Amino acid sequence: MKHSDARAERGAESIESGAQRAATPDLKDPSVVLSLLEADQVVAAKQRMHFGPRRLSLSIRVLLWGLRIYVVAMLVIVLISAIRAIHATP
Amino acid sequence: MARDLAGLLTHEDLDRARDRWRVSRARWAERRSKMRGRLSVLWLLVGPGVLVFLGENDAPSMLSYSATGARFGIGFFIPFVVLTFAMGLVVQEMTVRLGAVTHRGHAELIFDRFGKFWGLFAMGDLVLGNFLTLVTEFIGIRAGLGFFGVRPVVAVGIGVAAVFAAITTGRYWTWERITMGLAVFNALFVPAAILAHPNWSAVGRAMVTWSPLPHGNLFDILLLILADIGATVTPWMLFFQQSAVVDKGMQPRDISAGRFDTLMGAVLAAAFGVAAILATVPLFHHGIDASQFEAAQFAEALEPWIGHAGAALFALGIFEAGIVAAIAISTSSAYAFGEVLQTGHSLNRPLREAWPFYSTLLGSACAAAALVLIPNAPLVFIVLIVNVIAVLAMPPALAFLLLLVNDREVMGEYVNGFWENAAAIAVAIVLVLAGLGFGIATVIHMS
Repeated sequence: MKHSDARAERGAESIESGAQRAATPDLKDPSVVLSLLEADQVVAAKQRMHFGPRRLSLSIRVLLWGLRIYVVAMLVIVLISAIRAIHATP
Repeated sequence: MARDLAGLLTHEDLDRARDRWRVSRARWAERRSKMRGRLSVLWLLVGPGVLVFLGENDAPSMLSYSATGARFGIGFFIPFVVLTFAMGLVVQEMTVRLGAVTHRGHAELIFDRFGKFWGLFAMGDLVLGNFLTLVTEFIGIRAGLGFFGVRPVVAVGIGVAAVFAAITTGRYWTWERITMGLAVFNALFVPAAILAHPNWSAVGRAMVTWSPLPHGNLFDILLLILADIGATVTPWMLFFQQSAVVDKGMQPRDISAGRFDTLMGAVLAAAFGVAAILATVPLFHHGIDASQFEAAQFAEALEPWIGHAGAALFALGIFEAGIVAAIAISTSSAYAFGEVLQTGHSLNRPLREAWPFYSTLLGSACAAAALVLIPNAPLVFIVLIVNVIAVLAMPPALAFLLLLVNDREVMGEYVNGFWENAAAIAVAIVLVLAGLGFGIATVIHMS
């Protein structure tokens, strides 16, 4: 997905160098636009292609759950502490 | 592939191509005049890194630094704050690579690679943290302008108007330059610090020896340590910088410029953060209790020592910090929502094409602003917990970031190396230990 074919890249390079020399780019010409952007940088390409889900190993799931429990537990402590601090303020 | 896409180009693609053309042209010029061309390339590519760090030097962060200077003076916290920015640099550099290589925002990648279940957790942390932080930005805006006698409703209105004005440009580049122009005023803390006549040899000694160490109530010290870390390393920064790198159209060959941009942001923000500490050191020397101070009160309390001009600079600095952060944080929320909901999420899109994106951006700012104006709203409560929540939410965010940046299917040759992983894991350990230390101290404090 990341790498367009070499021929397209060579073509893009020659158009790109033309575009670089121009005072203003002719953005009405799609080939100029596509030469300036990477193939997967175009909005339509991003909408078509997504990175699929990765396999989460047991160790990764344990890590993510552990961190989630850490956050929830610490948030409870912070909330209790902040509420007490506010009530203690005269 | 390229031919298929030719008929599907959007306004966003054209604007991004125009930005890329300027970068390509500057690179072309670099072949003829190396120095001028290189400066031109850097000028075009800086932005997300400077904005994320100066945006994070926000109202609650500057107040944390001010409280640090007033409570402990020159000592341990000066090098500690610099260290937190180094930690921030390690983390943010990874978002530059992720954005430039994948052309996808952080929220989108988490949903794609980890699925909806974990994605919703990450979004939950982001939404909660962003909204609370946005509220504190408007508290800062209100308090900063309050020093000049501006009524709260007018001050908050100015804040919302600034967010609105920034998004009406319909162009990422213009938005970025306007926001960077505003962010430059974060430097107002430097003259305020100079007017406080800091003892520069004590500053130098503190930088080398990390002393004198803070002493007093362990709970208070840990709270300030956590607040200072939360003033530099927070989840919204990851989401914002990666999305901004994507919106700017950066590509893998721009990574070194992106690193420079991030380094420049970290250095500037560290300098301005230390300046905020130094500006409030006179309060420490005169034994003034600043533990319950808000922005305007800091400025008023400093007036006898740094003069009216210095106090005004301080108050303006807090106002500016609130404005820039309100713009950056509401944009971070809008990017994340747009990525998750798969709707248009670019500042290069016109309002009519991406109204859900702009509605989220402006809606979050308006909701936070309205909350600040509600009588008896729990604002003190929010200010107390906002930076602490940022630190606590950071380890899971960092875990997702590390897993993504080590994912060869996503990053290809740009995966983390050994030292990058070692530094990032060290940052994660520091964050977890700081959070646990605070938790234990809180439990002891309560019992």
